[in-house]
Amino acid sequence: MIRKVGLVFGIMTFTLASVVGLSGCTSERNQDPDNTVYLALGARVDSLDPVFADDAYSNPAVAKVYETLYQYHYLKRPLELEPLLAAKLPQWNSKKDELTIHLKKGVLFQDDAAFKKTKGKGREVTASDVVYSFMRLADPHLRSSGWWIFDGKIQGLDAWRKNAGEKEQANYDTPVEGLEVIDQYTLKIKLTAPSHQFIYFLAMPFTSVVPREAVDFYGEDFRRNPVGTGPYVYHRKQSNLNSKLIFDRNPTYREAFYPKVGGPGDKKEGLLADAGKPLPLNDRLVVEVFQESQPMWLKFMSGDLDLSGIPKDNFSSVIKKNGDLSDEMKAQGVKLEKTPVPDLTFVGFNLLDPLFKSNPDLRRAMSLAYDENPVIEIFFNGRAVAAKGVIPPGMDGYRKDLDVGYRPHDLDRAKKLLAKAGYPGGKGLSEIEYLTNVSTTGRQMAELFQKQMAKIGIRIKVNLTTWPEFTKAIDNKNFQLFGMGWKADYPDSENFLQLFYSKNQTPYGSNYFNFKNTKFDALYVESLKLKPGPKRTKLYEQMNAMIAREVPAIFSVHRMGYGLIRPWLKNYKRIEFEHNQAKYYRIDTNLRKKKKK
Amino acid sequence: MSESKSLWKDAFERMIRQRIVLVSMAMIVLYLLLGLFVGLGLIGGSWDQAIGEGYQSPSFDSIRHWMGTDIFGRSVLLKMIHGIQTALIVGGIASLISVFIGLTLGAIAGYFGRWVDDLVVWFYTTFSSIPAIMFLIAITFVLEKGLVTVCIAIGLTSWVGLCRVIRGEVLKHKNREYVQAARAIGASHRSRIFRHILPNIFHQVIINFSLMFQSAIKSEVILSYLGLGVQGRPSWGLMIDDSKLVLGRGIWWELTAATLAMFLLVLALNIFSDALRDALDPKLKSS
Repeated sequence: MIRKVGLVFGIMTFTLASVVGLSGCTSERNQDPDNTVYLALGARVDSLDPVFADDAYSNPAVAKVYETLYQYHYLKRPLELEPLLAAKLPQWNSKKDELTIHLKKGVLFQDDAAFKKTKGKGREVTASDVVYSFMRLADPHLRSSGWWIFDGKIQGLDAWRKNAGEKEQANYDTPVEGLEVIDQYTLKIKLTAPSHQFIYFLAMPFTSVVPREAVDFYGEDFRRNPVGTGPYVYHRKQSNLNSKLIFDRNPTYREAFYPKVGGPGDKKEGLLADAGKPLPLNDRLVVEVFQESQPMWLKFMSGDLDLSGIPKDNFSSVIKKNGDLSDEMKAQGVKLEKTPVPDLTFVGFNLLDPLFKSNPDLRRAMSLAYDENPVIEIFFNGRAVAAKGVIPPGMDGYRKDLDVGYRPHDLDRAKKLLAKAGYPGGKGLSEIEYLTNVSTTGRQMAELFQKQMAKIGIRIKVNLTTWPEFTKAIDNKNFQLFGMGWKADYPDSENFLQLFYSKNQTPYGSNYFNFKNTKFDALYVESLKLKPGPKRTKLYEQMNAMIAREVPAIFSVHRMGYGLIRPWLKNYKRIEFEHNQAKYYRIDTNLRKKKKK
Repeated sequence: MSESKSLWKDAFERMIRQRIVLVSMAMIVLYLLLGLFVGLGLIGGSWDQAIGEGYQSPSFDSIRHWMGTDIFGRSVLLKMIHGIQTALIVGGIASLISVFIGLTLGAIAGYFGRWVDDLVVWFYTTFSSIPAIMFLIAITFVLEKGLVTVCIAIGLTSWVGLCRVIRGEVLKHKNREYVQAARAIGASHRSRIFRHILPNIFHQVIINFSLMFQSAIKSEVILSYLGLGVQGRPSWGLMIDDSKLVLGRGIWWELTAATLAMFLLVLALNIFSDALRDALDPKLKSS
């Protein structure tokens, strides 16, 4: 399991990662329908091929055209999966290693020249399309960045991949044991081991369903010519992956409706005003690409943008000291939305390093010497909460009252523990190398860390590296300390706990710390067998506390996401892990006209 | 009987006749003194101590507040002064390395000619076709990062210009009468190159050294800005890198302090080396 997708540097400008929106100039704008939603992306998109949808920018772009078997309910919290291309939730066999999936009938691919047999009319989606799309993820010639989600999990797929790698081209007609087409609308997936997490992968854009005709027809250019089943059609003539993506309502989109039930409070917020209405609720999406945050921000300020994150440098001008929106923004009717992000930033130890290996007290002393408050203030504008363990707030197994004594900051106890570890006042300790990526914020965070450790007499040498150097050092286990972040791939705390499972040690998985604890391993394996429920939650809590006690890393912060919404954009609710929410947005066209005047 | 003036004395007199050159010389001396004082620990030793809140704008509360504070509340003025030391060390050592390589290769090529010349010319032509910044980055990747690496990297990439000049000069001089005379009295190759020819072309080395000095300072700033330069000590490049994120918020002082310090030093060195060239090599004199 290599979860490259989950890797987010602790210093990433989060504001840009969240998707934001805006528009072009007035003359272009006049050609757009009144109810067009103007969105923006913080970086260019390389490809609209789902098998490469591995970052925060390509995910929402892909999800407008393509659909997966399942999606998260737009309004319910905690998140709940619901069928999208599937007709209902999958049926598991009793051992939980086989699932049967029934597809909706009558779902059509978008009309496209690739469908030669039907003279350009989109044909119906069948179970073979799903199997074909899953096999593309495994095709070694495509080099999909999403292979990790299936790696070692589906019977026969690894063998198929290996076989395909030895040939010049993968043969998609060779059957894979674990991906069985029962009939036109039914398929059966056989897993190598029981898994409660597998179904989450079927909601990630990687597993979107693509038609084989289009892949063959467009070849290399498939990345620019998406053909999906989704609510929008990509406007190829007017779009450019480097600057602007336009999506128009898909005229042959099936009947799909805005959810009729929501979470508590959703009705009051007006989120159920459109309950039961057919989707999408707008005719066009204009998504402009912005490499820099300032021009994007200026567009939002002029009202040409319906949705925006807050660039770090503009934070103090928009948000008051008490965390409220500025009066100017409030007067414009702009709404502020704050939600915790399921992520964690940390400074990790290499537990194979002789210095840290058998000296937990040294690690604990460093954890206590670390002060997250200036980090939150300086680098996150106060938009983060202190982390005590590995599970972030809002996720299963998180305990606000978790306290094993090695977090938060306590300088006196840090000094005492350092003496207990055998290095009173840092005497006898050589310089410790801290590995981080070469960026301004990365370096500044390292400098702060250096200063904090100096307070208990520990000398830190900072090594700034590029991302490839960084991953190489970690895969080779050739480092002492490293600074990083982790964002959940799916809404299960298992995604955080697996970081410490001994069989996931690098380079086979994401246990960068080389942490190995037989007790923890036993609990982890036990938890995999359990359904979500109080019993599993208890295990998660236990594992989280165990990690907090062993200190394989200094846990820093969990971030908060801040979004600004123009008053004419209706039905906005922040949702993690899901990327196709634009179909729910509705523009109050009269209000927009009035306010814009 | 009037004594004839030596080349150096004459050059010095020519130079101090221009006021701007005097000012630039004073500037360079000031920088050298500041760099020396920092090196001796007389000033700027406490640059990494916070003197107040982060990002305080410049004020006259105390000398240390003149240029405001940085992200961690450290004095920008002290960081700027401390940066002088880094700049001077890099400029000095890198230029020395570069002079050593350029002088040796250039003199050998020009003096021996034939295949030695062909080889050296081929080498530096190939070498100079590699973009210098790429080469710099490549070297910093191979060696462990830090001040020494920066000096070596810049030294290794900046010798071609001097090498060309020296080769040309030696070519010109090697058949002159005084060299022939030296040969006639049995001087060895080494003695002819270093004792006879070199003193006559040494002004070229001085001129090039001063030019290289300022370009090395610029390279150090660029490398540090890219995160490949010095680590754990103040540098103007790091200061500029720090300030780029907050410039949009109106925090201008850190960028101003670093660029001003660099601008003044590089300008002074440029004026100085121009004047030096005019004085030492009257044939090249522009006006």
